[in-house]
Amino acid sequence: METARKKISPMGIIGTVLVTLFALICVAPLIYMLLMSFTQLRSLYIRWDEVTFNLRNYYTIIFKNDFGRSLLNSIIVTVLACIWTDLVCAMAAYGFEKKPVPGKEKLFKIFLATMMVPSQVTLIPLFLTMRKIGWLNSYAALFVPMAGAFGVFMIRQFMKGVDDVYIEAAQMDGCPEYKIFFKIILPLIQPALVSLTIFTFVACWNSFLWPLVANTENSMYTFTVALSLLNSQHDTNYGLSMAAATVSFAIPFALYVTMQKQFIEGIALGGVKG
Amino acid sequence: MKKRGLTGRKQQAFYGILYILPSFVIILMFSIIPIILAVYFSFTKYDMYSPAEFIGLQNYVGVFKSATFYSALWNTLKYVIVTVPVQTLLALLIAVFIADKIRGLYGALLKSTIFIPVIVSNIAAAAVWKVMLKTKGGIINSFLGVFGISDVNWLGTKALAFLCICLVTIWKNVGYYMVIYYAGVMGIPKEQQEAALMDGASPAQRFWHVTVPNLRPITYMIVTLGIISSFQIFDIVFQLTGGGPGTSTITLAYMVYTYAFSNQKLGYASAIAVILLLFVLAIHWLQDRVFKER
Repeated sequence: METARKKISPMGIIGTVLVTLFALICVAPLIYMLLMSFTQLRSLYIRWDEVTFNLRNYYTIIFKNDFGRSLLNSIIVTVLACIWTDLVCAMAAYGFEKKPVPGKEKLFKIFLATMMVPSQVTLIPLFLTMRKIGWLNSYAALFVPMAGAFGVFMIRQFMKGVDDVYIEAAQMDGCPEYKIFFKIILPLIQPALVSLTIFTFVACWNSFLWPLVANTENSMYTFTVALSLLNSQHDTNYGLSMAAATVSFAIPFALYVTMQKQFIEGIALGGVKG
Repeated sequence: MKKRGLTGRKQQAFYGILYILPSFVIILMFSIIPIILAVYFSFTKYDMYSPAEFIGLQNYVGVFKSATFYSALWNTLKYVIVTVPVQTLLALLIAVFIADKIRGLYGALLKSTIFIPVIVSNIAAAAVWKVMLKTKGGIINSFLGVFGISDVNWLGTKALAFLCICLVTIWKNVGYYMVIYYAGVMGIPKEQQEAALMDGASPAQRFWHVTVPNLRPITYMIVTLGIISSFQIFDIVFQLTGGGPGTSTITLAYMVYTYAFSNQKLGYASAIAVILLLFVLAIHWLQDRVFKER
């Protein structure tokens, strides 16, 4: 049986070649993007041996125009979104799972139901609400709504595995409530927080429609929006546009490379929500 | 003692409410109330500047009379029909093949590589593909030129522009579903595979009779997720084609955006959004029923 498994079949070879080919198709556009990002091409009719490669586009993105500002905006919003989502969702998950709140299961069902609603449905009223409370063109508009039902659901799933004994023991010792949450609960659910952070990071960094609608002042653009608008200009510097795409990709990619395992687990968990 | 226990319980409930409160306020303000408002606005004429005026079903009548709406609906459905089966099947085949034949370092490398497009934003992905798909000098046409194929106007031809949108979507999604499938394949009890092997089942037979039935719950989940996410396609259309040429790549979500924020017809756009919501709820309902039957 073992030999049957290990035997190299023609099917196996063809399959391996095909999967390898597919993997190449997955990265080829990104390699192309990276190569182009070192050029200043305005036309694609070129001889590659005449093209000069330099870092000018990256300099432009970081130090010039509103681009540097949009990059900073995205970083601030994403970091705030991660902290905010972790905190709000962990608190809610703890309340739902460990506290005897009357009617909590009904409320939780309502929470879950909101996960099914497409973002385009809430887009217009959300915009009008934000306008009313004066949050358009602010960081708050982008990160506050990120703490949704999905995070609560995900952390609650994990919280089910946390033994009540820890909480009871702390209560016996007269440990104040806020300390139980910060010193006992948060450390115990750390793996779930890591997953949620990764999920929020990628979702927030890559989000487009809401930042496009909510923040329309140049100085409040997120990087993804700035990247998109750069491409709609007529005299496109392909190199600059590809450099911006590279930067936009590089940041979540760095996270992916350093935390691959948690990343894939987090994203797969996110799959439950979609 | 008993009394103290009761107040203790009350106190715990009070703490619980405090813990839940922030998320409740957020979900109420930014999710529940907006859903109700969206339904309300869909019955009004509203341009953002003068107050909303109740006009009954007029928006819906207008929507169902609009040729653009039918294009958008048809494109959205077509898009779901093309992307979901292709990405699901590719993800399944790749996951099963890697799990079965390319274990070890190389398999892990392939898996990590195929996952990479998942973390690329839709906008960056579309930006790159847009440059690659350029008619004049784009790398794809240059490549095809080697085989004597003359320049193809990818994004300027109706059917091709639509296919390109599907292509970018599939490119971005396969890795995501592959990872979920891979975890599923690893969870299939070894004994079943071995029993099938003992019975002399061919690889194809094992695939159809052991692997696929075991992965059925995951397939339901992936298909549902795929349908729902494809129903909401916006970013790639926005970046790659802007809905064109003509209305050949316009989708429901794209229509909501343009009618609300370019044409300032918020009531009309809300009606389209509500129709989109009804479709998504119907898919959830169907999936629920399918799950209960199994």
